[in-house]
Amino acid sequence: MKVTIRIWDLPIRLFHWSLVLAVAAAYITATLGGNLMDWHGRIGAFILGLLVFRLIWGVIGSSPARLGHFFPTPPKLLAYLQGRWHGIGHNPLGALAVLALLADLSVLVGTGLFASDDIAFTGPLHKLVDDDALNDKLSGLHAQAFNLLLVLVLLHISAIAFYGVIKKNNLLVPMLTGNKTVPKALAATVTGGGPLRCITAVIVSGVVVWSVWGGVEIIKPVASAPATLTTPSF
Amino acid sequence: MKTKLALAVMLATATSAALAGPIEEQIRFRQSAYSFLGWNTGKIKKQVVDHPETFNKDYVAAAANAIAATANSGLGELYGVGTDQGIGWKASRLKPEFFQKKDEVTTVANAFNEAANELAKVAATGDINAIKTQFGKLGETCKGCHDLIRIKE
Repeated sequence: MKVTIRIWDLPIRLFHWSLVLAVAAAYITATLGGNLMDWHGRIGAFILGLLVFRLIWGVIGSSPARLGHFFPTPPKLLAYLQGRWHGIGHNPLGALAVLALLADLSVLVGTGLFASDDIAFTGPLHKLVDDDALNDKLSGLHAQAFNLLLVLVLLHISAIAFYGVIKKNNLLVPMLTGNKTVPKALAATVTGGGPLRCITAVIVSGVVVWSVWGGVEIIKPVASAPATLTTPSF
Repeated sequence: MKTKLALAVMLATATSAALAGPIEEQIRFRQSAYSFLGWNTGKIKKQVVDHPETFNKDYVAAAANAIAATANSGLGELYGVGTDQGIGWKASRLKPEFFQKKDEVTTVANAFNEAANELAKVAATGDINAIKTQFGKLGETCKGCHDLIRIKE
């Protein structure tokens, strides 16, 4: 007997598709450059917020969204590879891919905070690092993390296509509708989440992003005195 | 005949070296020039984009003029053969392909010079919105070179 369950709650789906759009927009703005770089920075801030939200939702969200639920421990991975794993949500191999994507995105956003394009754009934390060589390295890592992201996204899409075509398991539609038909034995386990927790997670994520942007002014404020008072007038 | 040719080559090499200096010196001047450009783009960014309430027409025009003057100073002379390998203030990030991509490099370099000249012109009018637009276009031309011939760390 099979039943339809809410496998992906609304916050997870919004997170997923917002992330897709935001990463695409970040890529486009970085490629075009010029004044769009400021938008690249704002989109980066949004992605940071999404990642923080995902981390929080990985603890308080509905059970398939929780890191503890899908964390790919070696026994789970072994069971999956031997065909003994039965569960809902990310399978252990898919969970590895999810964690790799999240980890790489964290590196991407983390280095972006310190990066500079050596033209007229710097991440909000750029000035915290005085070492030029380290700055260059962080900017370089930012570019490399994006290349890795392309590989991981390609793998992600290929895997979904493989599951859809070969294994006749449609993973795309549930990420759109949230619903998936599963054997009844597995269905009762979706708990947690809810609007109140979601609002809390959004607020906390917003505060984190705001602190990263505004906090640097407290740690290392911009000299606000007019240049003419402290330097010669030539 | 061979001796004469060798002498001529030696003389030409010596002359070009005297004009632009040895490799390390070319790289140092180059890095200094771009660092100076960065100081000036930073000034414009601050007053035109980040804090338009602090906009000072003369301050921004001075920065734009400095950028145009640097762009027009003949920077190409600092890209002698072998300057992809030396150390100036720090190791050069010039890609070796620079020397095979002369036409493309000329295109992006000219685009930068034109954008810089235009920015100086627009800055003289004091129209902050027009300056912001042209400043963005200048940034795109900087990126043109960075993407083409600059090593990503």
